[in-house]
Amino acid sequence: MIDNNIAWYVLFAPLIAAALIVVFTRRSKGLSSFLSCAAVLASFAGACLIFARKEDAAPALNWIEFPGLFVVPLGLVLDGLSRMMLVVVTGIGALIHIYSLGYMRNDEGKSRYFAALSLFMFAMLGIVLSNNFVMLFIFWELVGFTSYVLIGHWFDRDAAAEAAKKAFITNRIGDFGFMLGILMIWATTGSVVFANIAPRLSILTSNPGFLTAAALLIFCGAAGKSAQFPLHVWLPDAMEGPTPVSALIHAATMVAAGVYMLARVAFIIQLSPVALDVIVWIGTITAVMAALIATQQNDIKRILAYSTLSQLGYMVMAIGLSSSDAAIYHLFTHAFFKALLFLGAGSVIVALHHEQDIWEMGGLSRNLTITFVTFLVGALALMGCPPFSGFFSKDAILALAYEHNMPIFVLALGTAFLTAFYVTRLLVVVFLGHPRSHAARISRESPLVMTGPLIVLALLVIFGGSTFFTGQFVSVPPEHDVFEKVPLLAIGALVLGAGFAFALYRNRPREAFDIGFLRQKFYIDEIYSWLIDRTQELLARISAFFDRWIIDTAGVGGASGGTWGIGALLRFVQVGNLQAYSFFFGLGVVALIYFAVFR
Amino acid sequence: MYIELLKLASPETVVVVTALVVLALGLANERTAGLCSGVAAAGLLFAVAAVLMLPQQATLFHGMLVITPLTSLFKIICLVLAFFTVILARADLSSRNRGEYLALVLLATIGLMLLVGSEELLMIFIGLELTGLSLYVMAGFDKTDVRSAEAGLKYFLFGSTASAFTLFGISFIYGMTGTTALAAIGQKLTTAPVQPLLFVGIVMTLIGFAFKIAAAPFHLWAPDTYQGAPVPSAAFIASGSKVASFVVLGKIVLVGFGPAQGSAAWHAMVAGWAPVLAALAALSILIGNLVALAQTNVRRLLAYSAVAHAGYTLLGLVAGGREGFSATLFYTTVYAFTLVGAFGVVALVRRETGGDDLKNFSGLSSRSPLLAGCMSIFMLSLAGLPPLAGFFGKFYLFSAALRAVDNNGLLWLVAIALFGSLISLYYYLMVLKVIFVDEKSSSTTQPLNPSTSADFLQEISLTVLAAVVLFLGVMPGTLVARIIAAVQ
Repeated sequence: MIDNNIAWYVLFAPLIAAALIVVFTRRSKGLSSFLSCAAVLASFAGACLIFARKEDAAPALNWIEFPGLFVVPLGLVLDGLSRMMLVVVTGIGALIHIYSLGYMRNDEGKSRYFAALSLFMFAMLGIVLSNNFVMLFIFWELVGFTSYVLIGHWFDRDAAAEAAKKAFITNRIGDFGFMLGILMIWATTGSVVFANIAPRLSILTSNPGFLTAAALLIFCGAAGKSAQFPLHVWLPDAMEGPTPVSALIHAATMVAAGVYMLARVAFIIQLSPVALDVIVWIGTITAVMAALIATQQNDIKRILAYSTLSQLGYMVMAIGLSSSDAAIYHLFTHAFFKALLFLGAGSVIVALHHEQDIWEMGGLSRNLTITFVTFLVGALALMGCPPFSGFFSKDAILALAYEHNMPIFVLALGTAFLTAFYVTRLLVVVFLGHPRSHAARISRESPLVMTGPLIVLALLVIFGGSTFFTGQFVSVPPEHDVFEKVPLLAIGALVLGAGFAFALYRNRPREAFDIGFLRQKFYIDEIYSWLIDRTQELLARISAFFDRWIIDTAGVGGASGGTWGIGALLRFVQVGNLQAYSFFFGLGVVALIYFAVFR
Repeated sequence: MYIELLKLASPETVVVVTALVVLALGLANERTAGLCSGVAAAGLLFAVAAVLMLPQQATLFHGMLVITPLTSLFKIICLVLAFFTVILARADLSSRNRGEYLALVLLATIGLMLLVGSEELLMIFIGLELTGLSLYVMAGFDKTDVRSAEAGLKYFLFGSTASAFTLFGISFIYGMTGTTALAAIGQKLTTAPVQPLLFVGIVMTLIGFAFKIAAAPFHLWAPDTYQGAPVPSAAFIASGSKVASFVVLGKIVLVGFGPAQGSAAWHAMVAGWAPVLAALAALSILIGNLVALAQTNVRRLLAYSAVAHAGYTLLGLVAGGREGFSATLFYTTVYAFTLVGAFGVVALVRRETGGDDLKNFSGLSSRSPLLAGCMSIFMLSLAGLPPLAGFFGKFYLFSAALRAVDNNGLLWLVAIALFGSLISLYYYLMVLKVIFVDEKSSSTTQPLNPSTSADFLQEISLTVLAAVVLFLGVMPGTLVARIIAAVQ
């Protein structure tokens, strides 16, 4: 019994913890955080067991069943992909839970935080394990909701509340497309279960236009969650949430959900060349644009957020080049080094009493040695420096681009250069030189609960790159000998970018050059708000008119008056007089017999 | 033979014995009210256990007593509904004559079990009468309230008229077919041509059930009875009696009169019981919903909505077949649980504020968030909003009706039903609006019985009912699968 149900336990442990916290232990912060951590550790242990035993089946039951019309099983999918994601999500989740114990130790809403964190883990595991679109979509929305709660954890701060709303609404736009896509697939293939859709794909391929539309609509959902252009605007703002949340949601798991989902439904998307083209270009644009913006940001977490965007762009690019292996490989390495970077940034922020401006830092390598070393490891991996994990996975994507699409390759290489540039800038300004504020001078290293996860993650980042280690988890795309040019070019871009930034920012007290266009993120937020102002105002006026005069007065007023009037009239039948009642009764009998016999 | 009978009728026996014990206890001493409730509840639970011990299949006396998975399932459901009624009775009645009242509940339950567990018209009629007589007394039980007397009298007069029609109809059918066993009637009808006189018999038989389920135009007793009878009686009349009636009605029309179904499709109407039931359904949905709009008393509102729900539930029978019957059974079960819960809330509100008009509910959300929460689950489920059980029930019914006849022949009926549920949303939300939005006027805020305002047992049972409604909405498959498996 226990044997094949492990996946269910893995899925439900965090939910149970969340429920227990909400119902019983709300008032006891210590107990709440303990429950939450215990649940995620239990999930992690289960995930490891599943991974070690290569389980490939979990019992399923039918949830909604209209035979021949609509059947939704409650079923879990266990294959190489989901087993790997399980380990990554629960592993990183566990580290971040532990780290949160330190980061949130004096927070008022600690119980609420941990409850939301557990609920988030449940939703995320649900996305990983769902074997059909309906479950996937439900968990997808649940992830959106929990991330809303977590981003807005400090809801008394306006910026946080705004950011939470922005994240939620932007995601909803993507999800709307996603739902349409699901409905289109269901309408044609008659199934929402991935395994049952696959054999019926020929129905879809016979109609390329429809297929492309469906694939792109599904991609819409991924674009929202994985913050791809033009739905990327929520991710940088989401940095208003607590830093562990940024690490968990906006680096390792939630934003990866989009890529994971694309990999899961790649068998549909890859049938449509047009959709693939759109996807690869969206990924590339996101990668380049985010890297450009990152060079001009001053908030340590925002820089990391834009780098996340840029890396997600790489992954989507790989999906668009129809290699989900490369995308998942990069997702895997990225999850570790980006979580490491965010947690490192969190450690810096705590040491400086919630200061996030990099120009108020400087010289931190002396006081925060562990943080510095681990951060350096993460940064090198992000840049794609050879022995670290990021190098291999990025190289795989670059090689793919080189093989299939030259313009994409050039842009991707340019992004690599930019990445090296802004990461070096961040390193130099934050950790080297002289302290530029009082807080930076007296800063002290964070406690062990925070540095411990940093060290673990750093070790994973260092050793995670070797194909021996990684090959256990993902199928690494084969190296092509012909492409030894590609790694050389990538290292060239890296050295160039890093050297340039190092020379530019060493010992410099403030920004070297100021490009308003990039600093303001291409004015995309402004364009959106202008657009919304215009269209929404207009739409609102029109619909207000329509609602007030046509629907309310004519439609609702008329209909409700009418129905109410009939109701009131019929009420007179109910006179309470028994003779009248028996008259109606008899009338009814006669009418029915007449109806049955004589017509 | 009699040992066999006793074994197969063990649940009924348990309930009979419990009824007698409760009656004796109540007569022996005035202060044994609590004990009586306890014994009655325990007896019902024993009966459930006894049902679970029954064999899978058995037939006695040519179908007078039948045991199938279906009868067992619905016996359990009736017993559970009676159990909740017993708990409800703790809230509403003064402790005078508690024993007699509970004994009546138990006797009515026996009637329901006989109804469910029989496939023979005479036995069904006896079950109907046994239930009916107990319920008439239960409706008029509160001797201090003139409304209760009115409720009892109206219910009794209507009920006896309807019973007379049914018995008359049965005699016709016996005369035409020479048998009262449902299966035999079905066989006779397949071979012999269907004559007009038989239709008269069928229609008259159906009238008794139309009265029981409060389908228009035989619903006129319902508003007065629901409003005037003691709350537990009204709850039991609206839930247990209805569930059993639908089970039997389904068996009668599908097994007994199966060949005379006819068709209720819009352009291809064929005479039979299907168009008759379709007409009853359409009329019930329209009248029930429209009149409910104008009500100011919650129990009256529930009565009219019950008329409408009887209409929806009939849709499944009109559709016929295994799918339609399962949909009907699922819906009526869900409806019964929801309504017992709603009446439970009404009982508590009535005890606290002394009335059950809409205005007595104002400000309930601040006085008792739990009751308000439960009530909103019940109301929204009745209105048919997902993810509550009422939504899935309606979905099953409507999809069964649409698929039963070619070319969407029943679309007209489904359209009426959809229109009806649209209207119904208004008055259900009105109740919720009063509960959550309206402020309680300050003059009547004093609870009448502050000492008894927190009855833990009742709040728990209401929570359980709300949880059941929610659970059946999220996982309808658990019950639907059982019902479909049980319906042959």
